[in-house]
Amino acid sequence: MYKNHLSYAKCTFVVIMTHAIMILTALLRGNCDALEILLPLTVAVLGLDIVYAFVCRLFYKQMTYTSDFLLLLLLGLSVIFQSYFGSVGFATKHYITCIIALVMCQIGFLLTRNHAWIQSKKKYLYIILGILILSILLLTGSRSMWISIGSFSLQPSEFMKPVFILLCATSIREQHPKQKILCFYVSRETIALTIAFLIIALLQWWCRDLGSLPTFAAVYACGMFCRLCYPRAKLSKKSIIGICVVGVLVVIAALKFAPGYVQDRLSVDIWNQMEGDGYQQCKALIAIAEGGLFGKGPGNGTLYQVFAADTDIVFSTICEEWGFLVALLMIAILMSLMLLPMINKPRSYFHTTMILGVVAAMIIQMGLNIFGSCNLIPFTGVTIPFISAGGSSMMTSGFLIGMLKAGQSPVFRKRELKQEKVKKFAKKQADSSNTAKIPIRKPKKSTKRRGVTA
Amino acid sequence: MKSIQSIRRGERLTILILILFFLGMVLLVWRIVSQSDFYMSHSNNVTLGKVYDTNGDVLFDPDADAETYGSDYFLDIGNVIGDNSSQMTNTLVSENLESLQNYSLIFGATDSGEAAIYVTLNHTANQAVYNAFGSKDGTAIAYNYETGEILICVSKPSVNILDYSNVDSLEEGSLICKAFYGTVPGSTQKVATTAAALEEYGYDSLLEKSYNCSGTWTTKYNQSIVCHNSSGHGTQNIIQAFENSCNPFFAQLVQDMSLDNIIDTYTSMGIAVNNDEVTKMDIDGISSYTASVTLTDTSDFDTMWNCMGQSEALTSPCQMMVWESAIANGTGVVTEPYLIESITGVTGLTTYSAETSYGDSAIFSSTTAMNLREIMLQNGTDNYNSSIGYTVGVKSGTAQVESTDTENSLLVGFCIDDDLPIAFAVMIEDRVSGEVSTSDIVRTILQALDN
Repeated sequence: MYKNHLSYAKCTFVVIMTHAIMILTALLRGNCDALEILLPLTVAVLGLDIVYAFVCRLFYKQMTYTSDFLLLLLLGLSVIFQSYFGSVGFATKHYITCIIALVMCQIGFLLTRNHAWIQSKKKYLYIILGILILSILLLTGSRSMWISIGSFSLQPSEFMKPVFILLCATSIREQHPKQKILCFYVSRETIALTIAFLIIALLQWWCRDLGSLPTFAAVYACGMFCRLCYPRAKLSKKSIIGICVVGVLVVIAALKFAPGYVQDRLSVDIWNQMEGDGYQQCKALIAIAEGGLFGKGPGNGTLYQVFAADTDIVFSTICEEWGFLVALLMIAILMSLMLLPMINKPRSYFHTTMILGVVAAMIIQMGLNIFGSCNLIPFTGVTIPFISAGGSSMMTSGFLIGMLKAGQSPVFRKRELKQEKVKKFAKKQADSSNTAKIPIRKPKKSTKRRGVTA
Repeated sequence: MKSIQSIRRGERLTILILILFFLGMVLLVWRIVSQSDFYMSHSNNVTLGKVYDTNGDVLFDPDADAETYGSDYFLDIGNVIGDNSSQMTNTLVSENLESLQNYSLIFGATDSGEAAIYVTLNHTANQAVYNAFGSKDGTAIAYNYETGEILICVSKPSVNILDYSNVDSLEEGSLICKAFYGTVPGSTQKVATTAAALEEYGYDSLLEKSYNCSGTWTTKYNQSIVCHNSSGHGTQNIIQAFENSCNPFFAQLVQDMSLDNIIDTYTSMGIAVNNDEVTKMDIDGISSYTASVTLTDTSDFDTMWNCMGQSEALTSPCQMMVWESAIANGTGVVTEPYLIESITGVTGLTTYSAETSYGDSAIFSSTTAMNLREIMLQNGTDNYNSSIGYTVGVKSGTAQVESTDTENSLLVGFCIDDDLPIAFAVMIEDRVSGEVSTSDIVRTILQALDN
C-alpha cells in the first residue's frame, strides 16, 4: 500500500553517469594509453553501482535512503581517485575496503535504528570501549595506535569513535536521577560519560596521537550540549558562558603543557622548513597550485611520491590530478551526505544526538585533514572519511554513515493511484459508509522533495 | 512540541562546527586564489618568462646560453637583474619570480606562455657605463628624476650568470648590487648638511656666515679637523666651501647649528639618526639601504665627521640619487625610483603597469631645494660642466673606508637638460689620481642616455 518514494532508476543513473564521465576523463585527459587498462576499474565501479542498486531495489527496498546512493557515489569517486594516483590502474585494496564500508553501513543501520534496543545494550557499549582501550594498551607496539596482524594493520582508536558516539547518545536520552556532588547536580550517566572521555583523551595523549582528540572532544561536547538542552526549557546564558570559559581554559592549558612534538607542530613556518617539518604541507600546497582549477589530468600528478599522499594529504593529491573544482565538488558531496540527516526529521531524540555526534566527528575530521594539509591549522595525521585510503577508517566511516541513515525517520507515501482506481475506490467508500476511513498522511513541507526518502 | 524545540537547540553546537568548517573552506579558497603564485615559486614544474629592457633587449632568459647571447652579454646587469639560480637574493628576478611564472590558477602550470617583465633599464647605456669603469670597481646608478625610471644600474665586480663555475672564487661583492647597500658617503653628505643649514638659517643668513680655514681647525674638546687642502682655503662663504668641500668650514657650521634642527632635517630626509631603525627602500621587490648617522653633540668631532659623511655615516648610492630628485625638481619632494615598467601575465595581458609616484611628504622645503639646486649648479658650472659636457649640479666626495683602508671617490648630482632629466650617483672604489674619474663615468652615463 505505502511505498518508499525513492526513485531508484534516477538515482542509479546519476551515480553511474558520474562515474562513467570520470572514467572517460581519464581516457581523454589522463596518463592512459590503452583502453584495456581502464577495463578492470570500469567493470568494478559500474558493476558495484548496478549490483548495489539492484540489491537495494529488490531485497532492501523499505530500508534504502538517499544516503545509500550518496555513499555509493562517493565510494565510486574514491576508488577512481585512488586508482589514478601516479598512474592509471586499479586500487584493488581500496575497492575491497569500499565494499566493506558499504556492508558496515548496513550493519550500522540495522544495529542503531531501534533506540530502545540499543539503549538496553548500553553496558555492552562500555564493555566494547573497554576492550578497545585494553587492546590499544596491550596489543599495539610501544605507545602507538596501530595493531599489526600480518600485512594488515588495524587502528582500534578509529573503532572507538562510533562506540563513543553511541555512548553519548544512549546516556542522554532520558531524565536521569541526579546526585549532588560538591555543589553540582549531576547524573551518574554524565559522570560515566565524562570519565570515558577523559580515559580516551589520556590514552591518546599517552599514544602520542592527538590528531583524533578534537574529534572525540567535538562528539563529547555535542552530546553534552544536547543533554543540557534536553531537560530544560532554555539554557541560561550564564551556563553557556561558564562552559565556554572552561573550554577556552582547557584548550589554553592543553597548549601550554602539550608535549614537545606537539608544540613543534603548532609553530612550523613551513616555507622555511621545506625539507624538514613542513615538507608534506609545502608539497601539498605546491601541488594544489600546479593543478590549477582543472588539474593536470588523472595519473599525471607527482604528489603521489610524497609520504601519505593517499591519506593525510589526499585533498591535495586530488586537487593536483583532477583540479581544485573537482576537489571542492567532492567536499560538497560529503557535506550533503552529512547535512541531509540533519535537515530531515529525526527518528527520536536519541537519534538526533547520534546524528549530531556523527556529523560533528566527520566534519572535524575533514576539517583537520584539509585545513591541516593546507597549512591553515597544525598538521595532524587524520583521514577524510571515504576519500583517504585505510581499512579501519573506511569501516568506521561506513558504520557512521549507517548511523546517520538510521537516524532519519523514514517517510513512505501512499502509492499514487490511477484515475480509474481512484474512482473505484471512492465508489467503494461511498458504498460502505460505515467502514472506517483509512488515514492518509499528507506529506509535510520538508518531505515534499521528489525522489528523496527523508 | 517542546521536545522538537530542544532538539533544534541541541543542534546549535553542531551547526556552529558546520559554520566553522564552511568558513574554513572559504578561507582556504581565498588563500589558494591569492597565494597560488607564491606556492608556484617553490615548484620545479614551472617555466619562467623573460625580462626585457626598455628597448626590447633580453635581460634575463631562463634558457640563456653563451652561444645565443655571447658570453659577456649579461655581465653588466648580472647582480641587478640576477637569475633564478638562487645564487643571489635581492635581485629583480629573484624577488619577482612569482610575476615571471608562466602560471595562472585557472590553467595550472603550463609549458609556455607570455609571462614577461619589462624593466626601465637601458641595456646599451648600461653596458657602456660598465665598460667605462675599466679595471676599477664601483657602482653607478641613474634615473629620470621626473618619472622615476631607473635607467642605469651597474655594480662592479659583477657576476656572469651564464657561468657559475667559479662562484667560490668570485671577488667579494660580486653577488650584490652595491647601489643598494650602505657605503661611506664622504663629502656627498655635505648636501644633507647644507640642506639642514638652509632649513635652519635660510639662504640669505647662511650666505652671510663665513668661516676661516687654515688647513686644520681645533674643536672645543681639542680635537683637530684636518682639511684636504693643507694650506687652507682662507675665509669662505657656503658656496665657496661647498665647492671646496672644506672640512673646517662645515665643522664650524655644524658647531653653530642646533643638534635638534640637524636631526629634524636628517630624519625627514629618511636618515636613521643614532639608534633609529634604518628604513629600507623597496624598489619593485629589491630592498635598498637608505642612510644612517650617529649625532650626539654638535661640538664633538664625531658628530661633525658624521655630518661630513665620515665616521659612522652610511648611505646607499641609490638613496643619494633619490635625494637629488628633490633638489633637481626644486620641490623638496623625492620621485620614487622604479625598475619595472610593466608585467604581462601568462595569457599576454598586461597585469601591472608602473606609474610615477612621489614621496609622501617633502624632505625639506621647496625654498631649500631651490637654493641647494643653485649651490650645486654653481659647483657644476665652476668645476664640472666642461669635463662632463652637460649642465649639471653636483657634489663630489672622497670616503675613507676604515675596514679596507682605501679611499672611494663619489659624485652625486643631476643634469638639468630638458631632454635629460637625470639624477645620478657614482662611486669608484679605491681610486688613485690619474685613473678613470667619477666625472668620466657621469659623462658616459649622460652621453649614453642622450643618444
